Amino acid sequence: MTLRIDSLVVGYGKREVVKGATLQVRKGELVGLLGSNGSGKSTLIKTIAGINRHTRGSITWNGGTDLAALPRRELAKIVAYVPQSIGLSFALDIKEAVLLGRTPYFGTRPRDDDWDHVEAAMRLLGLDELGDRAVTELSGGQGQRVLIARALAQDPEILLLDEPTSALDIRYQWQTLSVARAVTRKNNVAGVIAIHDLNQAARFTDRVVFLHDGEVIADGPPADVYSPELIKRVYGVDVELSAYKGFVQVHPLSEHAEHHHRPAPFAPAFTPRPAEGRLELQA
Amino acid sequence: MSSIETGPDLAGAPGRGRGAGKSRRSRDRYAFQNAAIAFGLVAVLVTAVIGIQIGTSGATLGDVLQTFWAKVTGAVPADRATLQIQTVIWELRVPRIMLAILGGAALAVAGTLFQGLLRNPLVSPYTLGIAPAAAFGASLAIVLFGATAGSAALSLVFGALLFSFLNTALVLSLASTRNLNPTSLILVGIALSQLFGALTACIQYFAEDEILAAIVRWTWGSVNNSAWYQVLVLFALLGIAFPYIRYRSGALNAIAFAGDDSAKSLGVAVSRVRLETIAIAATLTAVTIAFTGIIGFVGLVAPHIARLVVGSNHRFLTTFSAIIGALLLVVSDAVGRLVISPGVIPVGIIDALVGAPIFLYLILTRQKAIE
Repeated sequence: MTLRIDSLVVGYGKREVVKGATLQVRKGELVGLLGSNGSGKSTLIKTIAGINRHTRGSITWNGGTDLAALPRRELAKIVAYVPQSIGLSFALDIKEAVLLGRTPYFGTRPRDDDWDHVEAAMRLLGLDELGDRAVTELSGGQGQRVLIARALAQDPEILLLDEPTSALDIRYQWQTLSVARAVTRKNNVAGVIAIHDLNQAARFTDRVVFLHDGEVIADGPPADVYSPELIKRVYGVDVELSAYKGFVQVHPLSEHAEHHHRPAPFAPAFTPRPAEGRLELQA
Repeated sequence: MSSIETGPDLAGAPGRGRGAGKSRRSRDRYAFQNAAIAFGLVAVLVTAVIGIQIGTSGATLGDVLQTFWAKVTGAVPADRATLQIQTVIWELRVPRIMLAILGGAALAVAGTLFQGLLRNPLVSPYTLGIAPAAAFGASLAIVLFGATAGSAALSLVFGALLFSFLNTALVLSLASTRNLNPTSLILVGIALSQLFGALTACIQYFAEDEILAAIVRWTWGSVNNSAWYQVLVLFALLGIAFPYIRYRSGALNAIAFAGDDSAKSLGVAVSRVRLETIAIAATLTAVTIAFTGIIGFVGLVAPHIARLVVGSNHRFLTTFSAIIGALLLVVSDAVGRLVISPGVIPVGIIDALVGAPIFLYLILTRQKAIE
């Protein structure tokens, strides 16, 4: 039960954005997709979701199903996509917004089975207590939960999240990531999340994949993969690493601090406390 | 990493609200929408029957019913007075009311579709430039074939239709070949509106007074020159459009509320649905205003009123919007015939007079709901 992406090339017009990416995601696993802006994270996710078309390579599921060759509607029964934020042109109530996830399954009239999925997804995300409120009245975190519920109502085997936390404050970032990790386990789906925050990725994902200029340059558990060299290469930033409650954490340094091996005066929050020491990375 | 962290709002959520009662409520949740639509249809029927009775040669409810009975049975009344009143009702009043109903419904449906497809509540059936194009076509016809509306009616209709279809074809071919997003489509519409507006202004600038008056009269929009063939054409068009729109209501919901990318990921062929639906909405608009002239506001306001009553789900919204549009025009037409009787104020003017305050009210109350 693996999502297998092999030598995938995706471009807009003549410009190639994803240049031969290869990676795999198993069921029940949440993989963090990391990389700088423009590294191809979003494009890769949208291509798996069938929003973009790839030019070369393959996307297969379960060892045989060619996802790119499936009809749109059939693909939507396997792959669900969670965008950055909810569109707010019109006041739709929460239940209707989650029901959109059943679009590939029913014609005009939702059946009992569709409502069962909608209600289960709403319960899982704690949306049933918000009642018939309109999505326009929700906070950012609640809106994001509606989008995840919509994706779950789709009953997917692959769940893709495209920077779901970038517009949220820290409380809702935490909540959204918790939910994303919980549902990949509980519903046993293959999860891929594009994310900017390296520390949150280390905390919530099982594995991270670094994209750099459209290519995969590192793949593995955060604690094994994170290194000052890699992060310097991808983001152009000098960092120190530390361990905090068993998770690897990344601390950007100013040039001044790196040369003198002591905290920069204006970045005390990022400096590890001496008691914790520095994390020695395995080779 | 075995424990699952949950946010504060999630704690205790699973298991709540379980049970058959909850599920059944979901299934019955559209009872209100269905009742609203049924009630609306009755309201249209009632206002239509009242509307038929209004006019200089008064008609009673009995006359209206007798006329319909006579048409059903094929009986011809013996005395002249009855024949006359039945002719007035059947040849003038009924097509007039029917054109108001079907025209209002068509514009409201088109407005709903455009607003949803372009994900913009400020959009109307005229946003893509159909109205100015039709006005230019009608103006050209008036210049070429003369200002007497009665004899030139067909040329007027064809002129308006020709240019609104040209406009639509241009917009749609641009949309499909250049893969335009909603904002670009709206901008293309603005550009074309300006272009056709300027062309019409040119004609008006050089036209004689009589021609100018005829052009201006056309742009006011009315159901004064209604004819049975117009009623039948619109009826047939709506009869074709409605099943398609209903069939596509799920896809429309996805495009309107989830956005293009998400709608694609939900299995909707976004480009195709958008092109087909715009073609339908544009045709409804073009044919309606070719028959009536430019009736403003109904296409913008009716979808909003409908949304407030039955919600945003297109499965019910398009139908209820059509009902509101029909009601708005039938009532406006009745008001227009009553206020300066025996004179008639065009429905396009009254409808904006009625529509503008309603729209203002909506904007202000909506803002309150957001705060």
